[in-house]
Amino acid sequence: MIDTTTQRPTRTIRATVNGAPVELVIEPRDLLLHVLRDRLGLYGVKSSCDVQVCGACTVLVDGAPVSSCTTLALEIDGKRVETIEGMATGNDLHPIQQAFVDKAAIQCGFCTPGMVLTTKALLTDIPRPTRAEIEAYLGGNLCRCTGYWNILDAVEDAAERMAGEGAR
Amino acid sequence: MTRHAPPTDTTSIGHDVPRVDAVSKVTGQARYAGDLQVAGMLHGRIWRSDRAHARIIRINLNGADRIPGVVAILTGDDIRGVVPNYGHALKDRPPIAVDVVRFVGEPVVAVAAETLTAASDAIALIDVEFEDLPAVVTIDAALADGAPALHDTVHLKAGLYHGLGDLNLVPGNVCYHHAFARGTVDDAFAEADIIVEGEYTFPAVFQYAMEPHTTIAEWIGDSELVVRSSCQHPFLVRGELADLFGLAVNDVRVIVPFLGGGFGAKSYTKMEPITCCLAKKARRPVRIANSVDESMVTTRRHGMKAWMRTGAKADGTLLARQVRAWFDTGAYADNGPRVVATGADAAPGPYRWEAVKVDAWGVYTNTSPAGSYRAFGATHLQWAGETQIDEIGRRCGLDALQMREKNLLEAGEYVRPGGKPLDADLKGDIRKAAEALDWGSPKGPHVGRGLSVGLLAAGAQPVSTAIVRLEADGSALLLVSTTEVGQGTRTVFSQIVAEELQMPMGRIKVIGADTQNTPYDRSTGASRSTTLAGMAVLRAAREVRAQLLAIARKVTGLPDAAITLEGGAARHEGEAWDYPTLIRKHFGMVGGELIGRGEVRPEGNDDGSYAAGPVFWEVCLGGAEVEVDPATGKVHVRKAVSVADVGKALNPRLVEAQEMGGAMQGLGNALYEEMLFDATGTLVNGSLYDYHVPTIADLPDSFSSNIVENGDGPGPYGSKGVGEGALAGIAAAVATALADAGVYLDELPATPERVWRGLHRKQD
Amino acid sequence: MIGVFDIARPGSVAEASALLREHGPDAAIYAGGTELLILLKDRLLEPSLLVDIKHIPGLDAISLDPCGCLLRIGALATHREIERSETVRAALPELAATEANVANIRVRHAGTIGGNLSFAEPHSDPATLLIALGATIALESDAGRREVPAEDFFTGFLSTAREPEELLTEVLVPTVEPGTTVIYERFKIHERPSASLGLVMDIEGGKIGTARLVVGCIGERPVRMIRAEAMLAGQAPSPDLFATAAALVREETDPTVDAFESGDYKRQLAATLTLRALERATGSGATGGAR
Repeated sequence: MIDTTTQRPTRTIRATVNGAPVELVIEPRDLLLHVLRDRLGLYGVKSSCDVQVCGACTVLVDGAPVSSCTTLALEIDGKRVETIEGMATGNDLHPIQQAFVDKAAIQCGFCTPGMVLTTKALLTDIPRPTRAEIEAYLGGNLCRCTGYWNILDAVEDAAERMAGEGAR
Repeated sequence: MTRHAPPTDTTSIGHDVPRVDAVSKVTGQARYAGDLQVAGMLHGRIWRSDRAHARIIRINLNGADRIPGVVAILTGDDIRGVVPNYGHALKDRPPIAVDVVRFVGEPVVAVAAETLTAASDAIALIDVEFEDLPAVVTIDAALADGAPALHDTVHLKAGLYHGLGDLNLVPGNVCYHHAFARGTVDDAFAEADIIVEGEYTFPAVFQYAMEPHTTIAEWIGDSELVVRSSCQHPFLVRGELADLFGLAVNDVRVIVPFLGGGFGAKSYTKMEPITCCLAKKARRPVRIANSVDESMVTTRRHGMKAWMRTGAKADGTLLARQVRAWFDTGAYADNGPRVVATGADAAPGPYRWEAVKVDAWGVYTNTSPAGSYRAFGATHLQWAGETQIDEIGRRCGLDALQMREKNLLEAGEYVRPGGKPLDADLKGDIRKAAEALDWGSPKGPHVGRGLSVGLLAAGAQPVSTAIVRLEADGSALLLVSTTEVGQGTRTVFSQIVAEELQMPMGRIKVIGADTQNTPYDRSTGASRSTTLAGMAVLRAAREVRAQLLAIARKVTGLPDAAITLEGGAARHEGEAWDYPTLIRKHFGMVGGELIGRGEVRPEGNDDGSYAAGPVFWEVCLGGAEVEVDPATGKVHVRKAVSVADVGKALNPRLVEAQEMGGAMQGLGNALYEEMLFDATGTLVNGSLYDYHVPTIADLPDSFSSNIVENGDGPGPYGSKGVGEGALAGIAAAVATALADAGVYLDELPATPERVWRGLHRKQD
Repeated sequence: MIGVFDIARPGSVAEASALLREHGPDAAIYAGGTELLILLKDRLLEPSLLVDIKHIPGLDAISLDPCGCLLRIGALATHREIERSETVRAALPELAATEANVANIRVRHAGTIGGNLSFAEPHSDPATLLIALGATIALESDAGRREVPAEDFFTGFLSTAREPEELLTEVLVPTVEPGTTVIYERFKIHERPSASLGLVMDIEGGKIGTARLVVGCIGERPVRMIRAEAMLAGQAPSPDLFATAAALVREETDPTVDAFESGDYKRQLAATLTLRALERATGSGATGGAR
C-alpha cells in the first residue's frame, strides 16, 4: 500500500476495460482520465474543460456516463469501463457511430467520443427520446464545431437504427 | 439547407461526399498532438503569473528541483540575452517572462519532468516574489495621459508575417494604427438629414477550441528542431522558430496531426517557443499541454470599444460613415495589427458611401494576449453598423430590407479605396435571408426580427502549393499543408483530386501537414483553404491529368480529344487503359509515380499585399427572430438564418456544417460569451464552469441555411471560402432583431441583465 | 494533478467520525467527489487523507416512513437515484423533477445529496427546495446523532452547521398534504442557476393557509422570505396579492455582488420567480416555468 521508492500510498485495482480484464497499481490520487490514456493507451478519451462541463472525457462505468477527468481511478475497481475504443465490433461500427458518420455529426472530432458514449447511455435509458430529452441529456456535452444540429439528427437516427435491429 | 445553384454534371464536386476522417474520429483512432508519443519525452508544466504587471524579484523553487523525476526548470534567466523576443507581427514577447510579467497568466517558470504528476508536484511548490508595477487593464487606462507603457514600442522590431507594410510605431500603448478615408466626411455629414451616432463595446471572447494548445518539442543536437504541435499555420510557426533560434528553415520540422478545433486560437505561434526552450534546457523532448484554463489566458478575441456615426438623406440614401475603434490586444500584439486592419475594413459595411473615414487602433493592456478568432474584425463592428442602418430606416420609414435594397453595393463596386471590388450579389443574398424569416409577416409582442450583412476581407496572402502523386497501383497521395481543424479540408481536397483524375475517393490519401514533407501553404484560416490551397490541389491534379493523357496518347496513338478519363482509366469507344497500366507502360516496370505540382501566388495587379487584397470578400450575412422575456431579459432565438455566398459549394453538406457551427458561435458571441477581467487584470470567469459556451440546450427553434452558388469565386470551380460569415452575420442579426423588439444595446453580449435594462431605457 | 493523499474506507459512521476527529483539517470527507475533486485538482484543498464514506452500509437508502409523512433520503443517494426513485416521485414529484435538472447527467450519476448540501454552494438546486419543504438534516458522529432544520444548516457561503467530525447521514423531508403545492423555479443561462425559488403553499377554502418561500442562488445561502410568507398567510390569491409578495421578496432578498449580475437584477429575478411560482401554484397567469 506504500510504494517503497516514492513513499507514496498505492492501491491495486482490477477492472474490465472494453471487455478485457486489467490489473493496475495506482496512486489514490490518480485520475481515471490519465490511467486510461497514459497507462492503457486509450487516447480516444479526450481531456478538455477539467470541470465536468464539456463531456469530452466521458467514459461509461457500469454503463453510466462519468467524467474521467474528475473521477479517481480507484473508483473503477471491480467495475466495467467502456471507452470509445470498445464501441465498434471489428470493422463494424456501432449503430450510434454509424449514425454520427452518416449524419455528418463530426467535425474536429474532439467531442465525438464523449458524445457517442453519452448517446449510448441515453438510448439505454430512453430508447426513443424526444428532442427535449436529447437536449436535456446531451446538455452536458459541448461541441464547438457543429452547432449541434447534425448531432441531434444523429442521435435520432441512431435511436431508429437501434429500435430496428434491437440494441446491442 | 436550401441550395440556389445551377445543375451540375460533376461526379464528386458538388456532392455530399462523406468526410474521409469520420471513421477514425468516431472510433477514437484519430490522433491529436496530446496523443502522440516521442521516445524519451518529458512532460512540461508552467507556473503562471498572478500579477498583471510586476517585476520579478525572486523565484523560490522551494525544493521543486528535488522532486523525483524533475529534469529541468526554465526561467527568464535561461533565455535573457540568448533567445530574443518573438511575435509574427511585432517581436514583443519573450518565450518565458524575463524580469517583468505583463499579464495574469504569463509563464514565469516551466518545469519538465518524467511524469505529468512530478511536474505538477514541482509547480505546486514554487512561489515568486514580485514588485508590482502600475497596471493598465482597460483600453481607457492604457490610453490615458501618463499611462505606463507596457513596451518600448519605438524600439520593437517588426515580425516576419504581419503583412501590413510599415507599422509606424510611436511611444505609448498603441501597437498599430490603421486609417483610411474616401471623400470628405464633414461635408457629407453637413448634407445629411439624419445622423445616428453611438459608442459601442464588444467583449473579449474565448475561442474554446476543445483541444487546448499542445506542443511537443524535440531537439536533434543543437541545430535541428522537430515540433509536433496543435497549430493552424505550420509554415509560419516554422519560420518564426527558425528566426528565434537562428536555424535554417529546413532544419525546423513542424508536424501537425488532427486539430481539436482552431477558430483562430491556434493561428500563428503560441506555446511552441516556450516548449522549445524547455526541451533545449532539458536536452530531452518535452510536451506542454495546456489546460483549458491556461488556453484561456493564451489567446482570446480582442475586446473593442468604438465610436460610430452614420449620416443619410431623408429618403434613406446613405451618405457618410465615420468610425473610431480601439482593439484591446492585451499584453502582447499577437495578431492584433491584422485584427485592427480587418476590423477597419469591415467598419463601413457593404454600402455605397459618398464619404467614409475610419481610424482603428490596437492597444496594449495588462491582460492576456488577444489574437485571431473566427470572423475577427467583422464580428466586432458589423452589429454596431447594422443597428445604425436600421435606426436610420426607422427614422425615414424604411424597413431593414428596404434600407439594404436601396444602399447595398453591387458586384464590381469598390468596397474600400483600392483593392478588389465586390464579388458577390448582396441584394440577392439578403432577399433570401428575409424570405427565410418570413419577412413582413405579423409578429407577436416582444418579438423582433433582424437582418445583417457585412463583408470580411478573406484569404490572407494568396500563397499555397500542393503535390499530387499518382502511384503505380492507381492510388494517390495528396501532399498539402492545410491543417485539418475539423472544417473537412481533407475531404474537399480529395474530392478535387477525385474529380480531376476521375478516380474513387477511397483511393486518395491526404498527408497531414509536415513541413519537411508536405509543400508550403501560408496558413489555415481566413476562410482561405478551399479557395487557395484547393486551387493548388486542382492545378497539381491537372498536371497529373495532363501526364495521364499524354501517356494514353502515346500508348493508343489517339489524339487527346478522343480520350476520356473515367472510372480510373483512359477510355476510347469501349476500350479502357487503367491508370496502373498507363503508369507501367510509362516507366516500363511496376513502379514509378506521376507527380503533379500546383502553385497559387499573386497574379495580375495583385502583389500579395494587404492593400491589393483581399482574395475575395466573404459575405457575412444573417437573419434572426428573437423573443424577449420582459421580466428577465432572457432572449429566446426562434429562428436563425444564414446565407452562404460561396460561388460553388464543393461539398454542400460541409458548407452547411460550417454555417451551423459558425451560427452557433455567433449566438454565443451575441448572447452569452464575455471574458470578465477585474480591476487587477485577473480573469474572473477563467474556467468553463463560469464561462458559458453554448450547449445543445441553447439551440434556436429553427435554423435555415441557404447556399448561394453564382460561380463568382476565385477558387476551384468558381468557389470561394466559407466558415466565418455566419458568425458575424448571425451575431449582428441578433443585435438588429433585439433593436426591432425595442432593446437598443450598445454593448454585447446581450445578457439577460443588459436586455432587461435595455428594455427600460429609451434610445437616445 | 492532485497532490498526494491516502484514502480510508471506514465501514461505519463511528469509524468515519473517529478518522475525521483524529486527522482534523488534514482529512476530507469523500463521497461523489464532484465538488471535492475540482478543489483538489486546483490544489485549493490539500488533505492528506480522504475519508471515503461510500462503503458505509445503508447510507444510500431512500424510504418513506410507515406514516407516509416523512421521506428519508440517505446522504449517499445520488441525484440520479433520487430523480429516478419511485418513492420520491410518488411522494414529492417536484423534488424528483428538481433533481433531474441538477447540473448534467455525469454529475447527477456521481454527485450525492449529502455532498451537495454539505458543500453549501449557494447555487445548489435541492437546498432551496428542501428548506421550503421544511426538511431536516441528520448529522452523526461517534458522539451521537442530532437533527438540524435545513434552514439553519446553511450558515453562509460554503459553510454549514456540520462539525468537522460529523457526517451528514440523512435528509428528512416531510411530505405534503393533498392540496399543498410544491414548486421549484429557477432562472439559468449559465452552468449554474442565477436565481432559484422554492415554494410550498396550501390553499383551503379559497385562502392561502401557510406559504414557505425560499430564494436561492442570489445570496450567500438560500433564505426564507419571512415577510412575504407572513403577508401571504390567510389571504385569498389574487394578482395584486402576488405582486405585493413579489415586491416584498425584492426588498427582502440580500443579493451578493459578483461580476455576473448586479444586485438590482438579482432582486428582479427573485421577484419574477416569486410571481411565476405563485401563479403556477394557483394555476393562474400565462407564464410557465422558467426552468
